[in-house]
Amino acid sequence: MLMRQAAGGRSDVQRGLDMASMIVCHACDLVQRVDAVMDRARVRCARCGAEMYRTNSASVDTAAALAVTALVLLLVSNLYPLVSLELNGNLRDTTLLGAAFALYGQGYAPIAALVVLTTVLIPSFQVAALLYVLLPLRRNARARAQNEVFRALTRLRPWAMTEVFMLGALVALVKLSVTGHVIPGVALFSYGALMLTLSALASITPTEQFWRWVQGSRA
Amino acid sequence: MSAPLTGRAAGLWVCGHCRATVRARAGRDGLCPRCGGTIHVRKPHSMATTAALLLSAALLYIPANLLPVMDMRTLFDDEQDTIMSGVLSLAQEGSWPLALLVFIASIVVPLLKLVVMGWLLLSVARRSRGNVLHRSKLFRLVEFIGRWSMLDVYAISLLVALVQMRSLAMIHVGLGALAFGAVVVLTMLAAQSFDERLLWDANLDG
Repeated sequence: MLMRQAAGGRSDVQRGLDMASMIVCHACDLVQRVDAVMDRARVRCARCGAEMYRTNSASVDTAAALAVTALVLLLVSNLYPLVSLELNGNLRDTTLLGAAFALYGQGYAPIAALVVLTTVLIPSFQVAALLYVLLPLRRNARARAQNEVFRALTRLRPWAMTEVFMLGALVALVKLSVTGHVIPGVALFSYGALMLTLSALASITPTEQFWRWVQGSRA
Repeated sequence: MSAPLTGRAAGLWVCGHCRATVRARAGRDGLCPRCGGTIHVRKPHSMATTAALLLSAALLYIPANLLPVMDMRTLFDDEQDTIMSGVLSLAQEGSWPLALLVFIASIVVPLLKLVVMGWLLLSVARRSRGNVLHRSKLFRLVEFIGRWSMLDVYAISLLVALVQMRSLAMIHVGLGALAFGAVVVLTMLAAQSFDERLLWDANLDG
């Protein structure tokens, strides 16, 4: 029924790119038609309201630039101390990896692994992998195993937790300020900047956007 | 009004990786022409996987709240903190907004996740039809906020790394933190393995 309607009214709305126009909602499985596909769009399901996809007018270059920025910030965030604590004349500081090492040293390897994965390894992989697939697109080429890499990227998205870490660090700072004198380190600021960069990067590279770039580069 | 057409009935499947809409071949799982991922009409074994992960999380939720997550020893005393006592001491130290934040992230969110996911699984098992839109939205909320529970794990790891003045003060991680971390990971996996479309299926098949 709906299918025939879709086929019927089609010629009126054939503007710009006609993206096969039938689309199924991933959240409630409703078949629906998307008439015009604009450059900057957020398409929601008519029945359940789920965001089916989102596109924007950002270019591959913008995404690549943000990814390079994030890479530099990641480096700074991991090399410099996050925070120092002065307690009765003793000064102690820690880096992000140092915090994980402390957990490991106390026999809690699983938590150490969880912390390193969610704050260092997965964000680093995301940024590096994004650059790996985006840079060849600028030359109308395809990275080797592009699809596999991008599927991994999509899957790992919820596990990069830079913004959660920032709040956790804030909580730790407040708790420590009762015990001794707390001095925020360089990495705390660069990690804050990283958080902003990564969320900007995530907002201009929704899954659909990436595949549009892939299809655009082949044309 | 005729029943809405579903992708399953129309033979149009959604790729779980890139969300492309794909014409199904004879109702079998196939590869997505756009991204090469395997496409299923519904996530395989969604109910069983989600139930198993959720049950494990519910069991670990008990030690996560009862066992100390950290233990601070100074010259004068030895103070063990559970998640709840950590929230209370944060409130007493004068940071009310932060205490509220940790309370929500560490206590409300995991509990909400366990209760809501359990209720959703039961509703699918019973093929209940009411409040689909409500249940769907509730699932999305729970899926979205789940990762924020990691907040306490990060706070603990920084405390442990910084308070290491042997004779003056030492902070050790407690077993509760291990259980708590596991609860967060397991509930996140449970939300990921749950197929939201199962909520809607009962409305059409019956």
